[in-house]
Amino acid sequence: MLYVELIAQGLIQGSIYALIALGLTLVYGLLRILHVAHAAFFTLGGYVGVVVANQTGSLAAAIVAAMIVAGLGGIVVFRLCYQPILHQPPFVPLIASIGLYIAAEELFRIVFGPSGLTYKYAFLQGEVELLGFLRFKTGELVVVFGSAAIIGVLSLLQTRTRIGVACQATVSDPQMAESFGISLSRVGDINFFVGSALAAFAGVMVSVLNNMVEPTMGSVPSYKALAIIVLGGLGSVRGTLVAALVLGVVESFGTIYLGHFLDRNAIAFAFLILVLMWRPQGLFARS
Amino acid sequence: MLRLERFSCGYGLFRAVSELELEVPHGTITGLIGPNGAGKSSTLMCVAGHVNLLAGSIVFDELDIGGLPATERVRRGIAIAPEGRRLFKDLSVEDNLRVGGLIHPAGRFKADRDYVLSLFPRLGERLGSLAANLSGGEQQMLSIGRALMARPKLIMIDELSLGLMPKMVDLCYDALLRLKQDGMTILLVEQNTDRVLSVADHVCVLESGHAVWSGNAADARNDPTLAAAYLGLH
Ligand SMILES: Nc1ncnc2c1ncn2[C@@H]1O[C@H](COP(=O)(O)OP(=O)(O)O)[C@@H](O)[C@H]1O
Ligand SMILES: [Mg+2]
Repeated sequence: MLYVELIAQGLIQGSIYALIALGLTLVYGLLRILHVAHAAFFTLGGYVGVVVANQTGSLAAAIVAAMIVAGLGGIVVFRLCYQPILHQPPFVPLIASIGLYIAAEELFRIVFGPSGLTYKYAFLQGEVELLGFLRFKTGELVVVFGSAAIIGVLSLLQTRTRIGVACQATVSDPQMAESFGISLSRVGDINFFVGSALAAFAGVMVSVLNNMVEPTMGSVPSYKALAIIVLGGLGSVRGTLVAALVLGVVESFGTIYLGHFLDRNAIAFAFLILVLMWRPQGLFARS
Repeated sequence: MLRLERFSCGYGLFRAVSELELEVPHGTITGLIGPNGAGKSSTLMCVAGHVNLLAGSIVFDELDIGGLPATERVRRGIAIAPEGRRLFKDLSVEDNLRVGGLIHPAGRFKADRDYVLSLFPRLGERLGSLAANLSGGEQQMLSIGRALMARPKLIMIDELSLGLMPKMVDLCYDALLRLKQDGMTILLVEQNTDRVLSVADHVCVLESGHAVWSGNAADARNDPTLAAAYLGLH
């Protein structure tokens, strides 16, 4: 019983990680940049979500608004911050990205105040019982099934539409993609939009579950998502998804069995280090 | 159709090709041959828009296209089957063809694909396979097919026969002749000169970035000095 519950809790946390890490993978696959500032869109999602929800009373409106605002923000970051320095060595965009993340955190603090915002309405706080012994918050189920649905739809779009195929081709060989008329800027826009919107969805859901949005809420997810994409074998979407879920479950077991001397994040990184000692290329890297 | 005038291209300050004059007339097969490192691939990739044009001009359909981005050149009618084929390896054969035809409306895809399959029936049996799982010959067919999906006026093919089984080379050359009959203009880069001389109308021999011979393929076949100096190696 306990195991099933721990696995379920791990999968809930894992789907949040997956939503955040997917954007990083998309950006890494396309541009070979570690987009540290990505977590700012998780936080941005939280803030847009809480503001819109408190204004309108509608969580659906909050989610849609957060995803659109963050998605557009992602495009702006790509165009203004990354695209002009893409031809530089990789550490240049990396440092730009770290700087951008710090700036974003401070911006949230200035605009929304240091102490955080809370929801005026109690969204998705009801409890649901599954299989007779598993109790979940409605919000937790929305996270799991919502992210599965979104990711499922995205993967269908990627394989079944011309734009999706164009994006895959671009990741595979950007120069040849250009030679068949695909604009790298357009593909970049799509990837940044989608990745940032997913992070924003995660941001809204986490802030709803915790009933709290803070300027720093992105920092732990930020480095954990980096760990996940390394674990998943940099650039592999499937690897990222699996690694996110695995890490969620490992953390959930770890906090029960090791929690008295290692905190949740320490467990996650101990696991990362162990795995990388055993498989430096990550769990799911292609040969 | 394509004319390179005092064409120089290269990488940064390094000139891979200098002062090349090359004319590819409409409806012909033009061979660009020469030893490894001569600058053949650089020339094709520069025409495609991926290597810097350092001096001179690239005239296509009487327009100077030297300043256009690669995405625009394919729309003007230049497609490339590059060295090493560079297929989209984790996409299926069919999706590679789909990408080839992305500049055209989706409605054209089936007809264009069927034309490519009529040239390369083997690809028809492998439409669902990943490009990475094809044999070398099939990959070359797919690379040419992908370029044809753009419905180019000019197709540039780099090292068509490199590393292929002789039978596959035959199939590819048969396809070239059929393409020519259908009105295609072809710029073909090869190290395997005998093969080129047998199908080409014109040839240009490149060495260390300079054209050392150019003219009719028939003359090239009969030129004893040329044969001894450059072609006898093969
Ligand atoms: N990406 C590159 N960067 C710098 N130099 C290059 C690059 N590619 C080719 N070269 C150089 O350009 C010259 C011509 O190469 P290439 O065009 O590949 O010749 P070929 O196709 O005739 O074998 C060679 O000296 C090669 O070393
Ligand atoms: Mg070459």
